[in-house]
Amino acid sequence: MRGVVGIVAVVVLQLRLHADDPNEFFERHIRPVLHEQCRKCHGPEKQKAGLRVDSREALLRGGDSGPALVPGDPEASLLIKAVRHSLADLKMPPPTEAPKLAAEVLADLEAWVKAGAFFPVTTVASPGSKHWAFQPVHKPAVHALRGVNPVDAFLGTTNAPSADPRRLIRRMTYDLTGLPPSPEEVDEFAQSFWKSDSAQIRDEAINQLLDRLLASPAYGERWGRKWLDVVRYADTAGENTDRPLRDAWRYRNYVIAAYNHDTPYDQFVREQIAGDLLAAADPRQYAQLIPATGYLAIARRFGHDIDKDMHLTYEDVIDTLGKSVLGLSLGCARCHNHKYDPVTTRDYYGLYGIFSSTKFAYPGCEPNQKVRDMVPLWTPDEMASKRKPFDDQLVALDSAIKKIKASQTERWNTMRQALTNPPTFLAAAMTSDNGGQAAPLCFSVKVGDMVRLSIESCEPSRQLIARVEFLVEVGDGGQAWWNLSTDVLGDFLDANPHGDRYGQPATWCFLDARKPLEVLTDTVRDFEGKKGLHLWRHGDGPAAFVNASDVSLTAWSAILPPHSLFLRTAPDGPVGVAWISPISRNVRLSCRVTDVNSGGTGGMWKLEHFAMNIGAPMTEIAGLNEELQRSQQTRAELVAREPKVPLAYAVTEGNPADAPLQKRGDPDQPGEIIPRKNLDLLGGQRTSDPKASGRSDLARWLTDPTNSLTARVMVNRIWQGHFGCGIVATPNDFGARGAPPTYPQLLDWLAATFVEKGWSIKAMHRLIMTSSAYRQAGRDSAPFSSNGRPSKPQASPDSPPLVSRPFHPFPSRRLEAEEIRDTLLALSGELDRESGEGHPFPPETATFTQHTPFKAIYESRKRSVYLMTQRIQRHPFLALFDGPDTNASTAERGLSTVPTQALFFMNDPFFHAAAEAFSKQLLKSPAAGRVRLAHRLCFQREPSESERADAVQFLEAYRAELNDLGPEQRDLAAWSAYARTLLASNELLYLD
Amino acid sequence: MLNLPFPSRRHFLRSLSAASMLLPGIVQELLAAEGSAAGPHFPPKAKRVIFLFMTGGVSHIDSFDPKPKLFVDHGKEIKAEHPEIKNRPGYEHIYLKRPQWEFRPHGQCGTEISTLFPSIAECVDDIALVRSMQTSHSNHFNATLGMHTGSFTFARPSLGSWLSYGLGSMNRNLPTFIVLAPQQPYAGGQVWAADFLPAEHQGTWVIPGPEPVANIKRRVSSARLQEIELAALRQRNADHLAARAGDPQLAARISSFETAAGMQLAVPEAFDLSRESDATLALYGLQRGQTTGFGWQCLAARRLAERGVRFVELIDVGSSNNWDAHGDMLTHAPLAKNVDQPIAGLLRDLKGRGLFEDTLVVWTTEFGRTPFNNSAEAKGREHHNWAFSSWLAGAGVRTGTVYGETDEYGLQVVKDPVHVHDFHATILHLMGFDHTRLTFRHSGRDYRLTDVRGEIVKGLLA
Repeated sequence: MRGVVGIVAVVVLQLRLHADDPNEFFERHIRPVLHEQCRKCHGPEKQKAGLRVDSREALLRGGDSGPALVPGDPEASLLIKAVRHSLADLKMPPPTEAPKLAAEVLADLEAWVKAGAFFPVTTVASPGSKHWAFQPVHKPAVHALRGVNPVDAFLGTTNAPSADPRRLIRRMTYDLTGLPPSPEEVDEFAQSFWKSDSAQIRDEAINQLLDRLLASPAYGERWGRKWLDVVRYADTAGENTDRPLRDAWRYRNYVIAAYNHDTPYDQFVREQIAGDLLAAADPRQYAQLIPATGYLAIARRFGHDIDKDMHLTYEDVIDTLGKSVLGLSLGCARCHNHKYDPVTTRDYYGLYGIFSSTKFAYPGCEPNQKVRDMVPLWTPDEMASKRKPFDDQLVALDSAIKKIKASQTERWNTMRQALTNPPTFLAAAMTSDNGGQAAPLCFSVKVGDMVRLSIESCEPSRQLIARVEFLVEVGDGGQAWWNLSTDVLGDFLDANPHGDRYGQPATWCFLDARKPLEVLTDTVRDFEGKKGLHLWRHGDGPAAFVNASDVSLTAWSAILPPHSLFLRTAPDGPVGVAWISPISRNVRLSCRVTDVNSGGTGGMWKLEHFAMNIGAPMTEIAGLNEELQRSQQTRAELVAREPKVPLAYAVTEGNPADAPLQKRGDPDQPGEIIPRKNLDLLGGQRTSDPKASGRSDLARWLTDPTNSLTARVMVNRIWQGHFGCGIVATPNDFGARGAPPTYPQLLDWLAATFVEKGWSIKAMHRLIMTSSAYRQAGRDSAPFSSNGRPSKPQASPDSPPLVSRPFHPFPSRRLEAEEIRDTLLALSGELDRESGEGHPFPPETATFTQHTPFKAIYESRKRSVYLMTQRIQRHPFLALFDGPDTNASTAERGLSTVPTQALFFMNDPFFHAAAEAFSKQLLKSPAAGRVRLAHRLCFQREPSESERADAVQFLEAYRAELNDLGPEQRDLAAWSAYARTLLASNELLYLD
Repeated sequence: MLNLPFPSRRHFLRSLSAASMLLPGIVQELLAAEGSAAGPHFPPKAKRVIFLFMTGGVSHIDSFDPKPKLFVDHGKEIKAEHPEIKNRPGYEHIYLKRPQWEFRPHGQCGTEISTLFPSIAECVDDIALVRSMQTSHSNHFNATLGMHTGSFTFARPSLGSWLSYGLGSMNRNLPTFIVLAPQQPYAGGQVWAADFLPAEHQGTWVIPGPEPVANIKRRVSSARLQEIELAALRQRNADHLAARAGDPQLAARISSFETAAGMQLAVPEAFDLSRESDATLALYGLQRGQTTGFGWQCLAARRLAERGVRFVELIDVGSSNNWDAHGDMLTHAPLAKNVDQPIAGLLRDLKGRGLFEDTLVVWTTEFGRTPFNNSAEAKGREHHNWAFSSWLAGAGVRTGTVYGETDEYGLQVVKDPVHVHDFHATILHLMGFDHTRLTFRHSGRDYRLTDVRGEIVKGLLA
């Protein structure tokens, strides 16, 4: 805004000038008109109807109504027609807002168009490819003496005074691991540092320290976190319900591991763009590579139904890709060509096609909660050998089970058909009459006949519960007898139809008597947690059940005596139990039906004899039941052994297709199809295989050593990680609006060296951290007093710096949120150094809505990089101390100092607990050494004499206020308070 | 202020004064410069905003936008290309549905307001009612985010954060932007996030109840103990600073403890309603001792406004059981009852104390509700982003006026549309800012609340 306005601050002269010079004519007569009359609606701020008037290109491109300008032909130019008011529906400026332009002005505009519409190119906002960052990296020669770190040669810091060793080790340990060094580590380093004044010995000590720090897993936890900031890592999706991402942590751990393994940066980038495709070619690395594309998958999801807003997710991907790898903001080009950098909408939709050809893991959202498209960590071969047998077996079992059930259904149907003749009525009574007892009935049966007892409630909709006793005898019972309770109580739930004590498989059957022949199929063991109360039932309808226990139980407010069988009617009909005769004889039947509902109004029971042979099919059904149970048992065992495939929240190839340009970023206004391609800026090549998404190509383009941005952007990030500020102060923006490099030659030298050294990030740490610039003293150059040694003289400033901008003192910085929390945990002895994995999210079946979104804070004693972070809800601690933005790439942490942070150090329970735990550690050691130990732990130095004295006075004063406490409690309280004054101090919080 | 009964008393006092002698100049300068814009672009009409947000979507046609024709044409089928019914099974046919509340003219201006808000209706001469509000999304999350940040999808700084950034603080012992809300609204903390603005401009969420701000309650057992502890910390930090030539970052952190100690007293005092008179409590419909409810929020808002908080937002309920009356419009009744008297009480109280002259009160919701449903007998209404009602009151506002118009059913705006961006531009204008110039450079772009849109609604200005 400012730059362009500045140029056009031209006084409009009423005096007509000779128009020989098209530039002058334009500046005097045309630009002021365009600026004052048109720019408000058609300029950088707004583009009404899609039109801009601030460049020739823009006018030629025109807006929704087509090109605004036909150079040389005023009559054909829409611009001229509009200002003349010759079109009914297009009068400019709008008559409601401004008067028609003066005839003189119209004449100028016409003359301008007629003369070819000269428009000076300097007004094009984009500096195009002349911008420094788009020029190839040229490694500058280093003019430095042997043994001088080239970094110092560029900065002129060759002879910078060095920080004392305790400060150096504190600085280096926090920088590389985010944790404080232990007193032993400090002592060891200081000793080897002081061994000799020789620079070589000191370099040796520093190199050894670097070896140790770079080999520590804590290194990846600290530096991986910096990359996670840049890629706006979060454990939730960010759509309206902020769905938890169960497997995103694998990407987080992939990043940490990549830093720890010093994965070459170019490979790191390639893996994150196309890890799945690389994995296909490298099965040994498969499980490591698959989570890498979490880089793409963790893109934010938007709205209610996330599939409908995928164009926004792709924008988030493209924008983050631009910022993180190239230091360019590409998101702007979704709606219009980039205003400042040479990135066009064609570039944008060229990349868009690559991502819309990619299948992103689907986290679920409000209208569709089901997670899908997660990516297995097993190779196709492993899936074939480990998972497929299981899937095959499961399919086979399921089909077997289905078949058995079909056979049973078939037999039931046969039986139902056989039930065409009405049954012979045997007896009926009210349960309230004669106690519901049937006098023994004698009648003749044939094998397979069914005798059914059914019970119905007298009161509609009331469910009657009756205890049932049922006995069938042959002769006087001496030959054979069937007692319902005796036969079924022991193994009630095993089968229905149920066998008898003679081994007949289908003698008893529990029925839904609302239908002619319908067996009860659902089982409940230990109903309502009551041991021994087992049910056969249909939903909440009819049920047959037993109390197989030794005590009375209560259910449905009925008291159920032990060792008994009961029937419960449906709200709308009867329930029944049947005896299927295994013999052809005269039998004697007696039964008793007792209403167990307290205050029940009773019911009616009925005995019927179905004289038709259903015994055979019933026996077959019972046989099939056994088979079914075996199959179900096998299935349950199989499922229990299910080989669980570990999954990644990542991407795979989708349906490759070029994407249409979206007019002004609106997916409902598709325009021309844009081939999938590289940014013009990086070469503009098309993808190589139309049947692939193109991510392989993209991964290659981004890491092509001739690409002028990737290496520069990354070395700048590494530099920033050590000095607090990058050589380019806008690490995510190397474009025209970004800051220019303060040391361009140094930046290029570092970038070239980075590539030469195989894109090794650890090599860059070594290079930078062994420089005098990094080892410089801080603002406080107080002498080092460890072991009572005098301060060593600093290197003498013999030779003047190579450049005139000295680079000192070393900039101090506040610890970042994670460093603060990890330090508090470490000092209190509570830090769990194991690496974190997933989070205790609610089960995958949990549903979330915008009314009840996912929201949680999980306490943990692990390092803060493993904390669960959300998108809609920030983690309160990380938010308080300027933690990363989980919604957009964070190039640099804020460093706010706000009173709510001070309140944390005054009153927060976590802080108080940490201080108390720290003081308990101190109290374990002898009283005389505690103050010293505390200073060594917190500040890596000895306390001064006055600090020792102050501590004594403080503890006394504090204890004196706590007379009502016992001595031990008083001690703990005083030491905890003392610990807080150390843990909350600036010396702890700031690194210099 | 310190009275330590032991020999080192003087020592501590010296350390204290040493610290404060060293600091004041630097610290004041620092605080002034710290992460704020240069102040208003022109003399503002208001010094502060009280923003009343009704969450869930208040039905305009049942509250502030009378539609007699809707009573008459109840049950008539209409057609509309509406986002909430597009491709929605069961919504192939839609029918007009009559409002559930009667409208009557009120005040000198005679503006019609329904019986849903009887007390606010009595204050109608003090408000400028907008009946032509429009928003870009018909989803709660997006519309709520849009009303607060001007962005309907991405996380951006909230209106309150922009004003905090633009105006700076009037009272360092209190946050500049405070949100009083019993529950999380839609879009959660994004609603009051500072996003890329400096963190101090983030809204401080206060949940009505006994501990309104996190860690505001002293944890050690006595004030004396805390003084001893803070004095020792101060001394340690002062020594550390002295060796570093007054590093401004370190000095700022030292002063932040002073501010925090001030907050520890000021915040509970600000939320302590015990000194309010019975008459005042009655104005808000509050029982003595009550620490929750919208009446409490309103009275606390007045107290915070008096104490220099720039932006106080009150959210009535959370992301469920709110104005989202799909099932039954009658659920509007208890929600209206919850806020009606307290809001009227707030307006009257502000007037009575002379705060009305330099306070802007904003009442809004995220969208309106449909004048139709898929059957005339349906009890509820759906989301409606085409039109809704909001109002302004207080400093610089053309009171007793009605701006904009919807059609005969309240379906579409037919006159003077006010998009959320225009609403924001107008609020910023009243606070002394040109909305196109209140910007912040982030990721290489100058961002602003109104994005690339927004026109000041002159008809709302006095």
